[in-house]
Amino acid sequence: MYGGGTIFEPTKLDALKDEDPIKLAEFEARIERGEKIEPSDWMPKLYRKQLVRMIEQHGHSEIIGSLPEGTWITRAPGFKRKLALMAKVQDEVGHAQLLYSAAETLGKTREEMIEDLISGKSKYSNIFNYPAITWADSCFISWLVDAGAIVNQLANSKGSYGPYCRALERICAEEAFHLKYGHHCVIHLATGTPTQRKMMQEALNRWWAPMMHFFGPPDTMSVHTETLMKWKVKMATNDDMRQQFLDMYVMKIREIGLTIPDPNLRKDPETGKWIYTEPDWEEFKRVINGDGPCNKERLAVRRMAEERGAWVRRALAAPKKEYVTPLA
Amino acid sequence: MNTEAIKDLLYKMADDQLILGHRNSEWTGMGPLLEEDISFSSMAQDKVGQSYVLYKMLHELGEQEPDTVAFTRNADQFHNCQMVELPNGEYDFSLIRHFFYDNAELLRFQALTSSTYEPLAKAVVKFRGEVRYHVLHANTFIKQLGSSTDEAIAKLQASIDILFPYALGMFEKSKFENELIAEGIFTGEESLIEPWIEAIQKIIDQTSLQLPDYKTIKPINGGRYGTHTKDLQPLVEEMSAVFRVDPTADW
Amino acid sequence: MSLPSLDPRVTRLHIPDWTNPMEAIKPMDQFQTFQAFVQHRENKPIEYVGVVHAPNEEMAFLFAKEQYTRRGNTCFALWVVETSNVMVSPYTEKGSSLYEMIDNEAIENLEEGENPFEIFHLFKRGKQHFYAGRVMANSPDEAIVQAKKLYGNDGKPVLNIWVIQTGHILFSDEDDKEIWNTLSEKVYREAIDYKGADKIKKYKEENQAK
Repeated sequence: MYGGGTIFEPTKLDALKDEDPIKLAEFEARIERGEKIEPSDWMPKLYRKQLVRMIEQHGHSEIIGSLPEGTWITRAPGFKRKLALMAKVQDEVGHAQLLYSAAETLGKTREEMIEDLISGKSKYSNIFNYPAITWADSCFISWLVDAGAIVNQLANSKGSYGPYCRALERICAEEAFHLKYGHHCVIHLATGTPTQRKMMQEALNRWWAPMMHFFGPPDTMSVHTETLMKWKVKMATNDDMRQQFLDMYVMKIREIGLTIPDPNLRKDPETGKWIYTEPDWEEFKRVINGDGPCNKERLAVRRMAEERGAWVRRALAAPKKEYVTPLA
Repeated sequence: MNTEAIKDLLYKMADDQLILGHRNSEWTGMGPLLEEDISFSSMAQDKVGQSYVLYKMLHELGEQEPDTVAFTRNADQFHNCQMVELPNGEYDFSLIRHFFYDNAELLRFQALTSSTYEPLAKAVVKFRGEVRYHVLHANTFIKQLGSSTDEAIAKLQASIDILFPYALGMFEKSKFENELIAEGIFTGEESLIEPWIEAIQKIIDQTSLQLPDYKTIKPINGGRYGTHTKDLQPLVEEMSAVFRVDPTADW
Repeated sequence: MSLPSLDPRVTRLHIPDWTNPMEAIKPMDQFQTFQAFVQHRENKPIEYVGVVHAPNEEMAFLFAKEQYTRRGNTCFALWVVETSNVMVSPYTEKGSSLYEMIDNEAIENLEEGENPFEIFHLFKRGKQHFYAGRVMANSPDEAIVQAKKLYGNDGKPVLNIWVIQTGHILFSDEDDKEIWNTLSEKVYREAIDYKGADKIKKYKEENQAK
């Protein structure tokens, strides 16, 4: 799962000046025709770079995103929840695998990506720097964070890069199970005993601001993304995705008696847009730059996993083999 | 049919599967390679799924609901062998346990396909498909790691030495052993030991690892009737931490 | 320091307070890649499903089985091949078929070769390759010409072809089929099992009554 808050590098105006204009025109015409780009096609350096960045961040978000929910794997209440949560967290690891493979087709190895994740050089979705304090937090994530991710992923699945689209097709299919499972869990808590209802409301209170952050800063604050949108790398603006999420889920949250902790949240009848209190974007910046409640733990756990597994990989390695970039 | 004997058999199998599945699920998201993380998680899910089927069978025989049975008992009410409750340790430990356990499980399921207790005979056919993959996975890993680096061989050997007496505890006899055999419900624990040794020895022989002579090792028994290590009670408490907040609530 | 976590699994790991940066990960730490192909059902074609990283083909098979055929992703057959053993044709432009580039004379004069090759077709950019069939040829290039003869008249333009020497593929066999014969009661791991509408309705009714 993954939000719209991809951190694209600011695009310099002269980024395309070294590109062959004929090839560039052919490339853009292909996208214009609705054809996908495949790994062996010519592509501008900027396209490659921003795609790697986006797909890699998406992959990192899946593997790091498996941690807050993984917090509750050993404590899920009852067989169905236990089995479903195990399967869901597994799917997230599976998504990371698919996405890293897609990013590899652009020339960055999985080793490089793992290294950049652990060193903090690459980012992942900011929301996973918050803790899942109770079972209800994991239910919130399963339903609404996944819901947010689906908004973004469905948009991205119509993007221009073939291998990313192929990965997203599979991912979106699995997210349908995650979303339903998460909704089911939240319904049970919200309509359950007073203890369960309280647990769920408190989780919603904690997660609402990170959820609003999830789609990234308002478009007025974001770096220029016109080129990325023309190339179908970025498929929807942050604000559009946030609006779409609110359109789809505010009523669903309210109908089960939960209160969204934003007194200003309402739909403007004239514009049809949601009006909401801007979340604290300074906090967003601070957390994404490393100073959130769980940043340190998330990366430490990833590093621990890599280091504990190192002897297994060393032992299995066949040293004469050469790495070959996957084809699609 | 001797219902008490059948229940005794179902309980030990269900508890083994649940506790080992639970332990193995702790690796989810933390495995040595993304692909292996996914495979190991699937096997953990299969085990918990199989235990669920067995608890449902017990429910049919008059025991409480699967959730109640699994999430409200204390450690001394569990019938699993002690091996499955031991903490995961490093990957070598988890792999050797997986290798020992699943090779035995495949034989057990194979034997039970001709059980006179039909619901079980039917269920194990499905279990067997899953466990066949588990065994293929375990054997492939042990074969490859067991003949790789000195580091890997030393780690695996140390885990074999620790786990082997616990593994023999998988075959602790039921107090209904004679009835189970007489009524054709199960061929009995003793029928599994030799084939199990043969199966794992065949794999070990392709590696630089050594298997102790089982005749000289004293099995660590007791798990089948409530004697457990200090590690099971915390596991059970953790597993049921949310459920016990309100066991009557619908989670 | 070990990290106190909300996740008991993490607390148990006693993660040290890393003060040193992690050692650089060596190239090939994550192994080479394999391409995986799955036939989801008996009467469906074999299709490309994706990549696994693995140290060898046996492990690639183990991994692909769970990454590409778990739960709802049913499987009748699974093939894996090391990526370096896949020969890739160029992509055609503007939807034309690769087979148009091979003249018919070449086909007429071509005799079967010595080695079996497996042929995969791509019909649409962004989609997956599908298995066309086997040819006997002496080289991958020749295999494509043979493929035009045997599989080139289906009408759909073929935009790209993968050619794999049969001997390089690890195939699941009859005996493996049992590993996909598993518990059918896995609906709790599928979307279909989660229906909450009744509970919501009941909740609304109770609240209106109040």
